Amino acid sequence: MTKRPFLGWFVTPAGLIAIGIAASFLAILQYSLRAHVPGMLDPGGFTFDNFTTLLKPAYGKAFITTVLLCFWTALFTLLIGYPLAFAMLRTRSGWVRGAMLIITLTPLFLGEVVRTYSWIIVLGNQGFLNSALLGLGLIDEPISFMFTTMGVVIALVHFTLPIVVIMLAAAIAHIDRKLEQAAFSLGAGRVRVFLTVTLPLSVPGIVAASSTAFAWTFSAFATPQMIGGGQVVTISTLVYQVGFASFNFPLAASLSLAGLLFTIAVLSIFNLGMRRIERQGAY
Amino acid sequence: MLIDPKLQQPAEAVPGQPPARPAVKIDGVSKSFDGTLALEPTWLKIRKGEFLTLLGPSGCGKTTLLNLVAGFLEPDKGELFIDDALVTQVPVHKREIGIVFQNYALFPHMNVLKNVEYGLRTRGVPAAEARDRAMETLRLVKLDQFADRRPKQLSGGQQQRVALARALVIRPKVLLLDEPFSALDRNLRAAMQIELKEIQHSLGVTTIFVTHDQGEALSMSDRIAVMSKGRVRQIGSPEEIYASPADRFVGTFVGDANLLTGTVTTSESGTLTLDLAGTALTLPQSAAPEAAAGETVELFARPEACQLVAPGTPGAVPATVSFAVYQGAHVELHLACPAAAEGPIMLRVPVANVPKVGAAVAVALPEAPVIFTGEAQ
Repeated sequence: MTKRPFLGWFVTPAGLIAIGIAASFLAILQYSLRAHVPGMLDPGGFTFDNFTTLLKPAYGKAFITTVLLCFWTALFTLLIGYPLAFAMLRTRSGWVRGAMLIITLTPLFLGEVVRTYSWIIVLGNQGFLNSALLGLGLIDEPISFMFTTMGVVIALVHFTLPIVVIMLAAAIAHIDRKLEQAAFSLGAGRVRVFLTVTLPLSVPGIVAASSTAFAWTFSAFATPQMIGGGQVVTISTLVYQVGFASFNFPLAASLSLAGLLFTIAVLSIFNLGMRRIERQGAY
Repeated sequence: MLIDPKLQQPAEAVPGQPPARPAVKIDGVSKSFDGTLALEPTWLKIRKGEFLTLLGPSGCGKTTLLNLVAGFLEPDKGELFIDDALVTQVPVHKREIGIVFQNYALFPHMNVLKNVEYGLRTRGVPAAEARDRAMETLRLVKLDQFADRRPKQLSGGQQQRVALARALVIRPKVLLLDEPFSALDRNLRAAMQIELKEIQHSLGVTTIFVTHDQGEALSMSDRIAVMSKGRVRQIGSPEEIYASPADRFVGTFVGDANLLTGTVTTSESGTLTLDLAGTALTLPQSAAPEAAAGETVELFARPEACQLVAPGTPGAVPATVSFAVYQGAHVELHLACPAAAEGPIMLRVPVANVPKVGAAVAVALPEAPVIFTGEAQ
């Protein structure tokens, strides 16, 4: 074994950050097991009450809303992102590829708040989308996007799209073009090649991208807060409301923890599914 | 240009048989990429059931030609015919061709049977019939007991046989093989070559085989098209290619070659005399009918056509032994020779009879060596 004298120094910053994160998690855990004393910022004694409170229907509803939001967002992001990633990789024009890449990735460099504000401008009753639809005579009165699940999903899809496109593009780029050529040579047309070769071989990428989209949406805050406007209550908006409007830190901590555990559970299920696919020897 | 490509069209008739219509006709096809010519206009006819090899180093245009026949590329100029039907504009999936790819390109998400069935299912063959035909073809390549395995669970040789079965099951008009042996180890490669050749012969499927391995080309082909720099240099049977190479490139690319530089002293009344660095050599004029006196030519001889003789033998070229390489069955003798065109001259001699390094010897050249004149050098 050779000595690597600098290795210790190289991992030190990451180690310090890891310690910080672990400490903050412990703090949240500690808070979630303390009683809330109304009117006081400091928590009271040890209790499990916060977790039993979470069983109330209002919190269960927030969970269901969040999961549905994640589901719809992941679904629509995939439906939009897959063709986009596919076209981006397969276009023969470098110029088109570059343009697509820039348009797809630029939103990543704008903050969530800025992006959400632009969606408010687009989605409002007098917003761009309603004005356009009204002007074209496609609708008679404005569609309510603001303060609805649909509006939040639209903005979240835009928020999630770049990361999903990057992941899908990586997965599709990984597929050996010779496999598609082989399918062509065996008499399959374009659609058949896509459905029987390209799409099945993209499954690992699709699973990875959708689990990332799920976690990404689950933790989104500014979008559901601003476009949902209190009408679309998700776990993260609820944590904010409980913690910073009611100053019930212990309940907010237990809610955060429940959300975290839920996300871990969902990602584990995705991971298990992925391993099953891998065990079939396909990838 | 040395050889007019149109003259390279093969004799269509097999001796004693009526002329067959070509299974594949490549008619003046050319291709360039970003302004670089990858394939010069090429004319080729391939007989039904023939095993034709495109042989050449990488970048010689052989893969481009294969991809043009397959339909993965569209020619800039020229037309392609398969079984007399114009296919230049026909997309890949309607060309009725079978391809074995270099890395086999087996579908990893399907088992062996599904892989082989694929081409039948795309043709709308009912499931039961597709299964039977796929199994029958798997029996042909002796893999029927592996039908439900995944490609990853098979060895390289087995994967290759699956790829072959998958390409053959559709009864293709042409079978295209793109360096199919390059991923196999040496022993397996030899066995697979024999097996492939047997299967090809028994099915009588017209085959175009792309390789850079001259050994493979010589042992498997009915005819070989030697390519270099986007051009077919020579086309002929393995024996023709080996014994009478059209130019220096073909001679040195296929097999071992000794090249000697000489000057034509006289070329008249049926006799050609050469001066090989002081040694006079008399040959029939037919060896190089167009050579004129004073011209520099190259004399080409295979190692096995040269003989080691005692120094001073008339007509033999003097040389010195530079080193000897023991090869088991024989010894490869490398000789420094003043007449050599490039590098040493190589001869194979019996192990029992090896001259010492530094010994003066002489090399007797074949009676009818190949002479390269003009551009053939």
